[in-house]
Amino acid sequence: MQAAIERPITTDVPVHLEGIGKEYGHFTALKSLELTVAEGTALGFLGPNGAGKSTTIKIMTNLIRPSRGRASLFGIDVRREPTRALARIGAVIETPEFYGYLSPFETLAYAGRLRGMSPKEIRNRSEVILKEVKLTEWADRRIQEFSKGMKQRLAIAQALLHEPDLLILDEPTSGLDPRGMAEVREVIKSLKGQGRTVFMSSHLLGEVQEVCDDVALLNHGELLVRGSVRELSRGADTSTIQATFLRPATPQDLEALASLPGVEEVKDSGDSTVDLRISGGEEGQARVLEAMINRGLKVTTYRPLGSSLEQLYLDRIQESDRL
Amino acid sequence: MTPSPFAQVVTVARYEIRKYIRGRRLLGMVILVGLIVGLFVGLPPALGIKYASTPDAFVSTFATFSGLLVVLGGVLFASDALVSEHEKRTGYFLFPNPVRREILVLGKIAASVIVCAAVLSLYYGAAAIAALAVTHSLTWDVGLSYVYALAYMIAVVGIAYLISALLKSTVAAAVLTFFLFTLIFSIVGGILPLAKVEPWFIPTSASGIIANALGGPAIRGGPGGGDLGFVPDPVTSVLVFAAYAIAGGILSILLFRRRELSS
Repeated sequence: MQAAIERPITTDVPVHLEGIGKEYGHFTALKSLELTVAEGTALGFLGPNGAGKSTTIKIMTNLIRPSRGRASLFGIDVRREPTRALARIGAVIETPEFYGYLSPFETLAYAGRLRGMSPKEIRNRSEVILKEVKLTEWADRRIQEFSKGMKQRLAIAQALLHEPDLLILDEPTSGLDPRGMAEVREVIKSLKGQGRTVFMSSHLLGEVQEVCDDVALLNHGELLVRGSVRELSRGADTSTIQATFLRPATPQDLEALASLPGVEEVKDSGDSTVDLRISGGEEGQARVLEAMINRGLKVTTYRPLGSSLEQLYLDRIQESDRL
Repeated sequence: MTPSPFAQVVTVARYEIRKYIRGRRLLGMVILVGLIVGLFVGLPPALGIKYASTPDAFVSTFATFSGLLVVLGGVLFASDALVSEHEKRTGYFLFPNPVRREILVLGKIAASVIVCAAVLSLYYGAAAIAALAVTHSLTWDVGLSYVYALAYMIAVVGIAYLISALLKSTVAAAVLTFFLFTLIFSIVGGILPLAKVEPWFIPTSASGIIANALGGPAIRGGPGGGDLGFVPDPVTSVLVFAAYAIAGGILSILLFRRRELSS
């Protein structure tokens, strides 16, 4: 009877969040999040600390209960059928701790057995995956000796062990050195290339821009923006451009630049370099460059400082903080 | 394809047992058993005291300490089993796997019971061998005392799991489990008779049957009150153990299922 009056899940997309919210006492961690991730795409889940990213991921992986709404993975309600819902996913949530008395091989065997993999399958996949995360030499050593970065690599290995259709990653490169971060990004990109779906939270906008197709921006438990990385990067209205001149700009030049339409702020950074905050997207940037040349300024470099996605991120977060 | 719940229980139990073996807790308990047995067997001749002449009387000396051994087993092999997944954050690895929380609890309980039973079996085995060597005979009462000790152990494990599911710290869970059985239950079991209430429902009072099986209240009335303490009849005692074990197990499952990993 109960099933008859409930709204059925009409879609079996990898991730479907229907108005999920979470309260801790009087604190609202997540308001009412609606989000869908299509198969074979990678979604970057962005937001500052406390935005609700981890809360969302924990609801998706059945670590916490939503106060309202429903999270489903491949059309299966995570709360109602956690075993089925989690069967096709691999997850790295925060930097998990592992059992110090086990080795990476044993840890992967534990996870593999719980997932119903055969011993041979576990052995073969463990060898491949530990090589991929550069832990082969440590495969038989006890994890209690491992650094945070090594544990993070193992976390990624256990998430990939069973070749999941959906990978849920909560800041997957946290604790890794730059080389490790690049390697993890490569792993994620190769998974995406294999048609797997990735749901990844991160603070690193460059990382998201490199790896993800789509972005969802969250702040104060609310979804601010959702769209493709390309569109959002293009659509960012303001950006900061760094211009370097052959000779230092005079105060009159700076004044003239500040008065140009679309220029919101001019900052002399010294060494013949000026940072300009320009609105109007790519069109606005082109107009300002043209005006500089017309004024006789010899521009040697003209490049965006930080990505336009970063600018969008900062603008939207600032705007939402003001409200 | 996710394996059957039973297969998952077996997997969890196997890895939990490995934890106890590699974590040296089991080794510590085995050393403790060796020490107790060594003292019971070695001290009387060293002090010129004669051994008991009957196997029941001989093993009853061992049986008096089995309650403490059971409680230590509960502290070391059960009290932190659930709380540690949250406190030490290993839950972030374990919980996103396609395995229900009740399966995890059942697997862990199975491991705790197996390890505690192994320690208890070693202790009673050593006691039985020593009795056989000294008195040249053994009785079924020794086996009965062992079975009662196992039943008490299962009750202790059940309550230790309940505490583990309730508390947020492994140390607090271990301390509470230890003092609950060595102090709180004993005090309550000792005071209730003064108020004309028979403490048949107190597990430490019921654990008196472990020693009573080897010679009745004249030898020992149970940890709850010494010779003067109340010890329920064996059937009641076993039912009390079963009630604590089942209630502890079920409540720990319910609490563990509800508990969120939010730290």
